[in-house]
Amino acid sequence: MSQLASAAASFQRIAANPRGVPQSAKAAGLRLVRPVRSRARKAPFVAVVLTVLSVGLVGLIVMSTVLQAQSFESQRLDRQAAELETQQQLLSREVDRLQSPANVARRAIAYGMVPNTNPAFLRLSDGKVLGKPEAAKPGNTNIRSVTP
Amino acid sequence: MSVSKTVSRRRLRVCLAMMVGVFGVFGARLFQIQGLDASAYAAKAVEAGTKTSTVPAPRGAILDRNGAQLATSVDGMTLTADPSMTSAYAPQIARILREKLGSRIDYFDTIDKLRTPKSKFVYLARDVPAWTAKKALTAIAKANMTGVFSEKETLRTYPGGKLAANLLGYVNGSGKGVAGIEQEYDKTLTGTDGTSTYEVDPNTGARIPMADSTVTKMVPGRDVKTTIDRDLQWYADQRLADAVRESSSDWGLAITMDTKTCQIVQMSQAPTFNADDRTGMTDSNTVSRGVQNVYEPGSVMKTVTMAALADQGKIASDTPIVVPSGMDIDNFHIGDYWEHGVLHLTAAGVIAKSSNLGTIVASQQMSNSVMYNYFRKFGFGQKSGVNLPGESDGILKNGKDWTKANHATIAFGQGVSVTALQMVRAVGAIANAGKMCEPSVVSSTTGADGKQAKVAAKPSKRVVSKDAAATVTRMMEAVTAPDGTAPAAAIKGYRVAGKTGTAWRVDPATGRYIRGQNTVSFMGFAPADNPRFLTYIVLDKPYSNAGGGSTAAPVFHDIMSMALERFGVAPTGSKSPKVAQTW
Repeated sequence: MSQLASAAASFQRIAANPRGVPQSAKAAGLRLVRPVRSRARKAPFVAVVLTVLSVGLVGLIVMSTVLQAQSFESQRLDRQAAELETQQQLLSREVDRLQSPANVARRAIAYGMVPNTNPAFLRLSDGKVLGKPEAAKPGNTNIRSVTP
Repeated sequence: MSVSKTVSRRRLRVCLAMMVGVFGVFGARLFQIQGLDASAYAAKAVEAGTKTSTVPAPRGAILDRNGAQLATSVDGMTLTADPSMTSAYAPQIARILREKLGSRIDYFDTIDKLRTPKSKFVYLARDVPAWTAKKALTAIAKANMTGVFSEKETLRTYPGGKLAANLLGYVNGSGKGVAGIEQEYDKTLTGTDGTSTYEVDPNTGARIPMADSTVTKMVPGRDVKTTIDRDLQWYADQRLADAVRESSSDWGLAITMDTKTCQIVQMSQAPTFNADDRTGMTDSNTVSRGVQNVYEPGSVMKTVTMAALADQGKIASDTPIVVPSGMDIDNFHIGDYWEHGVLHLTAAGVIAKSSNLGTIVASQQMSNSVMYNYFRKFGFGQKSGVNLPGESDGILKNGKDWTKANHATIAFGQGVSVTALQMVRAVGAIANAGKMCEPSVVSSTTGADGKQAKVAAKPSKRVVSKDAAATVTRMMEAVTAPDGTAPAAAIKGYRVAGKTGTAWRVDPATGRYIRGQNTVSFMGFAPADNPRFLTYIVLDKPYSNAGGGSTAAPVFHDIMSMALERFGVAPTGSKSPKVAQTW
């Protein structure tokens, strides 16, 4: 122990004066000794490494699974979007058809309405009638049916 | 000892040599792959692991002036089949297809196609809307039959069917505009296709998440907004089609233009075609007659002659004209459409009664070159400037080469060929107080970002003085008066200026006039004292005794009334001045 203490002391000296290592070491009568066996415990280290590895692995698996699932979901949603787009096109075409002048005219004629060929206007500011209003009569109209 | 040592050494050497050889081969191959063919192999690897798909740019829509869709693009499908798989149950598949696709396919024809021997690919139906095609495919799959496939495509649809078909035009099989606005604005309507490249699993083909992907952005086509009013267009289409049928005409045209802006608000043609279901697509139906068909306009041209004279101060509406009973010019006898002796008509009377002889007498105050220059100023013999493809120049012979007969007949619209749009532009100048502008059918284009680019209107130019235009307008008002040639064109409460036309038809084969065949027309604008709309009706080859006043004027009345009503143009309330027709 005293040897160790003196070695430690000489080391401190060496540290304080590194240039004088060989001389001071010899002067101190030092010799090589076997390195001190570390008695650090292995278990915590192994546990930490294993934990890191397994968490990483599980994380990787989970992430990969989630991404795959999301990829399938994205494909499904793409298909659904295409489907809905087609449906939307179908419906807007139906709306176009229903609000087309031909369809409106056909329905109006079916209700007994006739186009007005004598335009006249009512001016709201003074209530004056502009033009010569004339009732549109069923027999007196130019479009009796709608040709497709 | 020494022998075995030698053997093992030799063995060692042989082994070494073999190993060097093998590694040498490996090395050489490695050098070839890594050093020489590196890029080719890298490309192959990329190809196996990536997928490139085109992102088709949708074609822009064509809209009316209020934004209603006149032409639009939807998802379409082409149905194909592998006859080696379908021949066994061809009738069942054909029945399902016929049920779901209707008249798009023929039942027996489809059976034949599905049984095509020694074939692995046939087309069953093209241009099928995606929703219809999907229904058919689902039904076939439900019946446990295979061998029918589909290919995606873009389908152009025209929700109005025949509505303004000749103006809108149509696209060919590859989606390129080949007529009308579709052709003229093809570049604007067509977008730029994008591409999307991404890494895929070589085995499943599924996209690898988070992997590299490159995307070239797709730029959708721009929407084109026309100046057409859809409802007015429909009404004009109907009214004109009825008139063409009733008068047994070969074809008819109706054009309405806003005289202030020169925007065409409707342009109808009958008979026409349906670009939506591709019916009636014959050459005579798909030609855009308004700009491509030349014909002799007849008496409507008298308005231009009178405007030229009035601009030179050589005529007023009450100028007295002695109208002879007939004229022989260059051995060519010219008369009026009614028999008469010598008449004392005013210039307004000449227009109101549509006297050829009166017009000739008046026009003789102009030399060939002066009259020719005025006709050129009014735009005859030149394109109208409207943005539509295939426009014709019309035919106006150079004034230097005019004979006396040419001068006489051109004054009343024979011996000169025009397009309807040229005629509309010229009389539009009279309606627009002497200033002529170029007709337009498109007002703006809009990109996917909603940014609008206006199509600039070309500046108008003065052709005749304001007074000359007013003088001719007064003469034209006499036409729709009860004693004019077209009282049927009068609209109650409004002042309407107009002019009838009944021109002899030229036989395109012989270049000669055909007796008894006419092109009848009516050109008019309202309100005469503050013109807003001009409408031109042309009916070609109606029944033999049809005239502009009796056949075309009623169509003008109805379409013009509808235009005035739809655009809220109220009557001005003023009364037409009384103009003497005789003296």
